[in-house]
Amino acid sequence: MEAVLKNLSSTVELLAVAANSGAANSGAVEQWDKHTMSRAFDWARYCEHVHSRFHNNPAIRRVMEQQLELTNRSLQDVIPGYTEVSFSDLPRLQHLLLIGLLNNPELPISLIKMLFDTRSPLDNMQSEYQDVTGLCSHIIRCKAACKVLSPLTDLSAAGAEVQGRMLMERLGALLSRGSDTRPAEHFLGCVLQGCQGAGRQFCLVITAALLTTKNSAAQTAPREFLLDWLQNKHSVLQSLCSALPATLLIDLAKEHNKFRDAYCDVLKKWASDMEYCISEGEWVQTSTNPTVSFHKLTEKFMALFEACPSLRANTEKELKALKISDGDFDVKGLSVWGDLLSALNM
Amino acid sequence: MSELQPLSQPQQTAEPLLNVQEMQFWLDKAVAWGQADSPDTQKDTCLHLNRLRDFLQQLLAHINNMSSTAETMKKLPLLGQFLGRLCWNPYVTAGDTCRRLLLQCLWGLYSEHPSNAVERKANQWIRKVLCQLATEEDDGVAQALMKHMGVPAKEYHVNVLKKMVSLLQENIGKSCCSLSDINRRCSCDSILATSDACVPLITCPEASPLIGALLQQPVTCVKEALSEHFLDALSSAYSSWNLSLEEQAVVSLWYHSLPSLEEAVLSLLESVTNTASTPQMLHQQVAQSLLPKACAQHCSMFLVANDIYRSVLKQAEGNESVRSLIQTFTRCFLRELALLQPQTSVSLKAFFPQSPQSLLVPLLTLPSEMPQESWRNHLNWLSGSLQRLTEEEEEGNGDSRSTRGHYKVFETWFLLVQCAHWVQAAVQLLVTSEPEDCGPLLWLLTFYHHPTNRWHHRALQLVRAREAWEHLRSVFLVSARPPIDRLQSLVTPLSSQPQQPSPAPLLTLSLLVNFAVFCQRPLSVSTEVLQMSRWCIILVWLMKQHVFSAHWSSD
Repeated sequence: MEAVLKNLSSTVELLAVAANSGAANSGAVEQWDKHTMSRAFDWARYCEHVHSRFHNNPAIRRVMEQQLELTNRSLQDVIPGYTEVSFSDLPRLQHLLLIGLLNNPELPISLIKMLFDTRSPLDNMQSEYQDVTGLCSHIIRCKAACKVLSPLTDLSAAGAEVQGRMLMERLGALLSRGSDTRPAEHFLGCVLQGCQGAGRQFCLVITAALLTTKNSAAQTAPREFLLDWLQNKHSVLQSLCSALPATLLIDLAKEHNKFRDAYCDVLKKWASDMEYCISEGEWVQTSTNPTVSFHKLTEKFMALFEACPSLRANTEKELKALKISDGDFDVKGLSVWGDLLSALNM
Repeated sequence: MSELQPLSQPQQTAEPLLNVQEMQFWLDKAVAWGQADSPDTQKDTCLHLNRLRDFLQQLLAHINNMSSTAETMKKLPLLGQFLGRLCWNPYVTAGDTCRRLLLQCLWGLYSEHPSNAVERKANQWIRKVLCQLATEEDDGVAQALMKHMGVPAKEYHVNVLKKMVSLLQENIGKSCCSLSDINRRCSCDSILATSDACVPLITCPEASPLIGALLQQPVTCVKEALSEHFLDALSSAYSSWNLSLEEQAVVSLWYHSLPSLEEAVLSLLESVTNTASTPQMLHQQVAQSLLPKACAQHCSMFLVANDIYRSVLKQAEGNESVRSLIQTFTRCFLRELALLQPQTSVSLKAFFPQSPQSLLVPLLTLPSEMPQESWRNHLNWLSGSLQRLTEEEEEGNGDSRSTRGHYKVFETWFLLVQCAHWVQAAVQLLVTSEPEDCGPLLWLLTFYHHPTNRWHHRALQLVRAREAWEHLRSVFLVSARPPIDRLQSLVTPLSSQPQQPSPAPLLTLSLLVNFAVFCQRPLSVSTEVLQMSRWCIILVWLMKQHVFSAHWSSD
């Protein structure tokens, strides 16, 4: 363990050297050659392995976090404008090293050439070993290829799927650490913030996350957690239900009972927010951002019942009870529940 | 336009000076591509990629010729802008060749020891552009997510790309024209669009499943589903070894694009005729080329390959390596065909439409598929049939201008070349033949080497072949110690200038070699005979060609 901690600390120092130019390092990066750089990336990869091995072990994790804190503090004293490396940064250490190196004006041009070297495609196919040569070339190629293919297939949808899968993996990892759900909640909060609120992208990611795990039993814990979290965050849930296309929502409802019930609740809430507008002869939403018309609402209900027939009976009962509480009139425009029931032919 | 005056010092290469108008043209193109993102712009970019590549090559040579960056920038002030714009065009950076050339241009502009402000600025700019290309993310949300989820950028982008490729693959699988439902819109347009979009991605390994799927989707529509541009780019990348495709994808590529099939056949011919190889190596080369497999799946491809072989044969008749190739090719093809469909006799006619039908099955049957005792009878029959066919045609066409008869003789001979295993069997049997049996076998052998009377003097060659055979027989079988002088007399005519047509060295030598190997004399005698011959080197080669293959074909 001592050795591991020492290595961790040394690698973070290495990262600092790589990223920072100036007198403090006396041109250290200037002296780097091919082997030095390869070794640096090897050490970064080593730290990534260390993280994946020990992140579920709270005791070891704590020790490592402490070590990193120490190293960060000592580096902060020496290097002005130093950015800290935390334990959760470790899985991306190679990437951070790359960013640091490329931003460093003292990096020898020969090393940059090595990073951007375009190998022949046949080499790429054969070597699974992550060689540093051509690393940047590979990244550029993948990004460019995604853009080239984006007119044909939705880039954001593919991105959302990948992000969703990664979200579930991370959630799973956080939840397996113990019974404390706070890190997982904190993580979801950060993601929500990173997405600048529950915009379309966030909704796509959550949906993808919930849909991609339908086949794997190991994902029950994160799935349940995410569904619960979603149910508790009403605003997010509402945004989800209004931003996403109906087909996706139906898919979600089919897969997860919790979501089905939550979705039904949202639809009912929308209905309860409606008022009858005499000039238009229709029920309209009174909230500041009307998201759905009465007609659309009925359509959504019908689609939901078609996909989940078991829901129909209970909802019918509920709607009837609500209609009775409104006076049980059969006249249009008096009770949204009554009009809903007749529109749904119940 | 005083920009581009010839330099005072002599140019190192003979490269024409870069035209400023050309530079302007490409800069305008780069600007136009960067501004719009419509399907037309995308198409335009893809169509110009080849020319852009050539231009970048020119540019690179030009930059390397300059003594300093400052000078380059003075001569071509628009260069920086141009390269910068190209860096941000994904169609240019997705393909390996263009990206490599672009980067090399940038390296060319980097100065190790900048001596003035222009060069220092250029250095800074190059570093900045490269850093941004590799590390900047357009999607802020994705970037934040990557950070929180602890996912490195490379892994993320690779996964997104793979996801997009698999989504597109699924789409291709689903869409195909169904003739039963006329109302459904033909989805060939989307496949065409996909194939066009894949042109810059041909060298991208992550996209190869998609390219494979495009090539292998069933051809159900009358319209061409794959863009010609796509097929051309694929075939040139494949032939210059820049591409690795699955076997079936290659077969599909040849099926869709006739030029690429022709290219493959010609390159096989070239590689075979340039290097001497043993029959095993030849067999391996042919099998690895995937051509026999492809021809077994598609009759049309076999016909095309054989047409190419016919024309090569007509131009280079004496070339033994071409004939060996044709024989090996046919054998590999038959093997693949047998693997595909158990009963081959049904469709053979389709594969050999121009060959005499009565001879097809007898010739295509391998000697190894027959007991050795029945070889002689079979060969006698073959020889008789061939003789009849040939002489009929030659007699029937007294008019030397008629080509139809010669066409038939040629086709008969071509079929024999394809099935030369029987010629080898004949030579082998000649060693143990008696004078009364050798006639048909000699005729067959002579016909193989000299098919016609008119141009190859077959009748005369037959006589000479018989003489050679009798001679060799007496040398190897009759006398106790082979008389060297008699052997020399056999070999001497081969070295003299052909004043009169002499038996082809090949015919005589193949007889010689077979006698040496298959006669019942001790090995030492044979080796002594061969060592005495002045044609040792050719003999060794010939031995490898004939003897090993004869051995190999007989087991």
